[in-house]
Amino acid sequence: MSAQSKRELLLPLLFIAPAVAVLLALSIYPLIYSVTISLQQQGNTWGVGNFKRLLTDNFFWTAMAHTFVYAVAALTCEFVLGLGLALLLNAQIRGRGFFRASLLVPMMLPAVVVGVVWRLMLNPNFGAINGTLKRFGISTESLTWTASPKLAMLSVIAVDVWQWTPFVFLVLLAGLQAIPQEPYEAALIDGSSRWQTFRHVTLPLLKPSILIVLLLRTMDLLRVFDQIFILTEGGPGFATETISLYIYRTAFRFFDFGYAAAMSFVLLALTNVISVIYIRFLQAKEAT
Amino acid sequence: MLFALAPVYWMLTISLKMEVEQFASPPPWFVFTPTLQHYYDAFVARGFGQYLLTSAIVAVVSTACALVVGTLAAYALARFELPFKLNRRLSLWILSTRMFPAIVTAVPLFLMMRDLRLLNTRASLIIVYTAFNLPFVVWMMRGFFVDLPRDLEEAALVDGDSRVGALVRVVLPLVAPGLAATAVFCLIVSWNEFLFALVLTQTVAAMTLPVGIAGRVTQYEIKWGVMSAAASVAIVPILVFALALQKYLVRGLSLGAVKG
Repeated sequence: MSAQSKRELLLPLLFIAPAVAVLLALSIYPLIYSVTISLQQQGNTWGVGNFKRLLTDNFFWTAMAHTFVYAVAALTCEFVLGLGLALLLNAQIRGRGFFRASLLVPMMLPAVVVGVVWRLMLNPNFGAINGTLKRFGISTESLTWTASPKLAMLSVIAVDVWQWTPFVFLVLLAGLQAIPQEPYEAALIDGSSRWQTFRHVTLPLLKPSILIVLLLRTMDLLRVFDQIFILTEGGPGFATETISLYIYRTAFRFFDFGYAAAMSFVLLALTNVISVIYIRFLQAKEAT
Repeated sequence: MLFALAPVYWMLTISLKMEVEQFASPPPWFVFTPTLQHYYDAFVARGFGQYLLTSAIVAVVSTACALVVGTLAAYALARFELPFKLNRRLSLWILSTRMFPAIVTAVPLFLMMRDLRLLNTRASLIIVYTAFNLPFVVWMMRGFFVDLPRDLEEAALVDGDSRVGALVRVVLPLVAPGLAATAVFCLIVSWNEFLFALVLTQTVAAMTLPVGIAGRVTQYEIKWGVMSAAASVAIVPILVFALALQKYLVRGLSLGAVKG
């Protein structure tokens, strides 16, 4: 390499170095540190005890099951609603700016505020939901929402759907509006039905946007913590305890850092596998 | 739209209602006697002012740090051809650090901060938020730099400007809107962040607003008015930013993947 090109390289490397240093110190080092904690067992010996314990810990598997139910239910609702709305409203809307800004409000709110808002809405005694139902003569006695073992999971899912459906909608709308007109004109000439047009024109062209929005939502849903912490703290009982809450409780209530670290690696592996699958699909799409 | 905003409006009304009206049934949505008592209680009598200040300092300082470090890296990744396919590899690696679930790094970061005696300090949050926002800044700014034609800075280079000079005098002014959008995003993320703040700060002096609010929510007897007032104040900057920034928001929330 000539002296000239070496000097050319020095500047960009100097520019990148601080960012790499920060991420090594605060993302990669913590991960390595976490591995070492997870391999330390009680009595300060090394081993995979913490990982063995996982296999027989019913709380862990229940929390995993809750996380899955939560993620799948919320993702399905958000996607169906978001896609439906995007298809319905894929036209120039009057007052679009204001419309869009108001849709953005829920997803920009601090999760803590979302928790507060919905604790107020869902409060069985003075909440707006039950108050409004009462006005229509519906009995609300059994509708204790977040305090009821049966309705608590439904409540936390509904809150996430409220907060994030607008995001799915906006991403898919942006995707729809980027589709050119020609394929639609061709479909019209071929005499395709609306369903056929949707199935063979809209869906394939929208696929990258769909995959991106599903990927981002899935990652967020699997690691959900804040809203549930505020709304139910994982309760009543264990009814809404997701994996992040269980890890938090293990580490910061029971101070069992080793076991918490071990569980967090299962979560990390899970999110990695899922994101790799999504990205494969995304790249397969781009290749064709 | 109604669906999106009604719950937030409901909280605002609770923060403005006397307790008698808060618990009225059926609940008054529009007609009630407004009072600022809860805002006074929260911010003057109960220390939420302190949390507000901490939140603001942490958000601003961490955003500034992430912007400086991230923009430099983004510029280098967008403009220079590095050997060993480093451009692509580094970019993907940087992005992947953002994908870790927060709880995975929260446990070791807590222990690291404890060893460094930084628990319950604003510095610990500033450090963590800088690292947390950094991948986002790199990706967003890289996108803006790539979108920018090279001609202008090359003209500046021909005119005898140094690389750094061209960056500061020519490139940065051109990407200023993108830089501003990125900054606002980092501000919002830091302002809203909850898990790290909960884990790293437990004292009144170091707590951020979300942690302060959460502390009230999970107490046995809940002062709904005070809590709503604090939460209402917490969303004011967000509302202002959301309105100012709506053009960039979808792009930002999807880490630059969607140019909505």
